[in-house]
Amino acid sequence: MKIRSRSADGEKIETQMAPMIDVVFQLLIFFMLTLKIIEPEGDFSISMPLGQTSTESTDDPQIEPLKIRLRASADGALAEVLVNGETMGVGPAAFQRVNTKVFDEIVGLGDNADDLEVEIDPDYGVPYSGIIATISACSGRIENKEVTRFVSKIKFAPIREEAP
Amino acid sequence: MKIKGADSTPPDVDMTPMIDIVFQLIAFFMVITNFEQQQADERITLPKDQLAKPPEVKRENVVVINLGFDKADGEKISDEPLILFGGEQFTVEGSRARLQQEAQFYEVIDTALDEVTVEIRADADVPAGLVQSLIKMCQEEGIGFTRFALKATQQIN
Repeated sequence: MKIRSRSADGEKIETQMAPMIDVVFQLLIFFMLTLKIIEPEGDFSISMPLGQTSTESTDDPQIEPLKIRLRASADGALAEVLVNGETMGVGPAAFQRVNTKVFDEIVGLGDNADDLEVEIDPDYGVPYSGIIATISACSGRIENKEVTRFVSKIKFAPIREEAP
Repeated sequence: MKIKGADSTPPDVDMTPMIDIVFQLIAFFMVITNFEQQQADERITLPKDQLAKPPEVKRENVVVINLGFDKADGEKISDEPLILFGGEQFTVEGSRARLQQEAQFYEVIDTALDEVTVEIRADADVPAGLVQSLIKMCQEEGIGFTRFALKATQQIN
């Protein structure tokens, strides 16, 4: 075997940089192009005995579910929010009031607060964003970046038929 | 002014700092790239919400249903809400067969349907009744999903 003798005059071996830089730039461009910015997505769980409300029987004393009704206007926008028949108005202020209402309800129930259920009863045409706003108003509140959870049992009422 | 003579050798460029930076960039993009197969459809604009936090524990069995409008370049092609499966589109009624397949798949791999979460990604403008009928259909006999989650984009402010 031939063993390379170290040259006595200390000649430096030139490293070939060009191919490495080629490959490195290729990699850089590949990762830059495959980058896709995805916004973080969260979700709300729904416990759905849809249309089967009467068949369920629980042993513990039944707490009346909080009924939230969402009414749509003729053009399909959210027109009114009602909690147990009481109007909350419309817009972000309405959901604020719903939030307060749910909070009061939980305080009133004390230890049984975990059993509180919310039933959302929307008109067919209410936009989905209204549903999310309602669920959010029922499920908690953010104060000083701390999340307080209210109700976790959220379900839908039977579907209302599409207005003719 | 001193003018360089023609016989001067080209100056040695120090490559080290550039390579440092380029490796940094590669490492950054590698870490940030998500190679996981995304079932999310970018045609759907989810509603935004502050409380919508990504789940802390990743769910194991998930069926993602995208319900929105067919769009091209951000413009709606039709006003009819459709279920979007990659290149395919169904009406809510027309997706029954697809959902049955999905349910059968979990039966074949011996997973109880109450361990499967149906994640609904619906466009903010989809009528609520349609989301309800989709959930109702998922609960029908022959399909029988029981756990549902409604998706929203996390609003940070």
